[in-house]
Amino acid sequence: MFGVGFYAMLTVLAGLMVTAFRAPDPVFGVALKRWIEQFAVLVPRMFCALIAAGFCAKLLPAEWISGLLGEGSGFFGLIIAFLAGLLVPAGPVICFSIAAVFVKAGATPAAVITFITSWSLFGAHRLFIYELPLLGFNFARLRMVSVLPVPIIAGIAATAISLIITIEMLTGR
Amino acid sequence: MADQQKPQDTQHSRQRANEIATISGTSGGAGSGFEFLGNSAWWLDILSAAFGRGFFGFMAFAILVSIVCYLIYGMAAVQAVLIEDMTLLVNMMPRLVLALSVASLLWVVLPRDRMARLVGKESGLRGLIIAAVAGTITPGGPSSAYALLAILAAAKADRGALVAYITAWALLGFQRILIWDMPFMGAEFSMVRFVVSMPLPILAGLIARHIPIRFDTSQLPKGVR
Repeated sequence: MFGVGFYAMLTVLAGLMVTAFRAPDPVFGVALKRWIEQFAVLVPRMFCALIAAGFCAKLLPAEWISGLLGEGSGFFGLIIAFLAGLLVPAGPVICFSIAAVFVKAGATPAAVITFITSWSLFGAHRLFIYELPLLGFNFARLRMVSVLPVPIIAGIAATAISLIITIEMLTGR
Repeated sequence: MADQQKPQDTQHSRQRANEIATISGTSGGAGSGFEFLGNSAWWLDILSAAFGRGFFGFMAFAILVSIVCYLIYGMAAVQAVLIEDMTLLVNMMPRLVLALSVASLLWVVLPRDRMARLVGKESGLRGLIIAAVAGTITPGGPSSAYALLAILAAAKADRGALVAYITAWALLGFQRILIWDMPFMGAEFSMVRFVVSMPLPILAGLIARHIPIRFDTSQLPKGVR
């Protein structure tokens, strides 16, 4: 049920416990207070957001979108992929399943990379479950404006790389 | 071991002791640190933070999309989605509890002032690179990454570094790539995605430093500052 990351975190936790025991002050009270405060802000929202995310993913027309991302879709395809990424307010299971649907329907690698990048940066579930409760609206606004061009840049760079690979394959061997 | 503390740690622990005194309401700072548990005003605050406007907004939205889903796909689909969501939630709980435990212990154990200097206002490009590398190697899912980000933000880290950290975690995080990108998309695709994304957290950090959007510690939510 748990992956490597979980056990890595467990090890980190054990190390921190030892360090905290050695600290000269009673630090566990401060830690517990912070724990309860963050848990209270996160869990009820997470409950609702997860339910909403499941329904949104069900409603997303993945097959229809994938038709707009194929060879020759160019910059327009990247924009559509960017917007599609905004519309997936759910975790990696759903995002990568949709990405697989796109690949199967013939979407270009650049469009799929733009889609995954856009979802990674703007996935609404993470914004609502974690970013707004823990960092507030001002930070979320600053971050989102700062990363706005990033998915498109990733798509353009990926297009360039696939061009180079294609040219090498055509001319090289 | 405790009496071998270096001098700069003394200042660090004094700052910690003050913090404990403030939250537990004692003036001398001598208490056990758990006094807040008996404070009913604090529990009320917690309750109103937990079930505030954000919560009800989400609930309304969840109900709305579930109705749309029911109208289009029928009751069976709604049930299937709900069961899937509940499984996901149950699976996430242990991870969240663990991530929050790590984050809250880090909050009391880490020398936050020194850490903030490493990625602070004067840290330049080096600070952005450190933040991006830290984001790439942070283990765990969003609960640990965002909890760490909140710690860095409260420690007055530079806003460019904050954006670089979370962007690097989102785009380059090793764990995500190993668990999701590789199995779903294949090694070659994942490598292309990793390579094209490598400079992007730094770029985002530079943009964050230069755009005129105000952000400072006072704008963080109450429980995080």
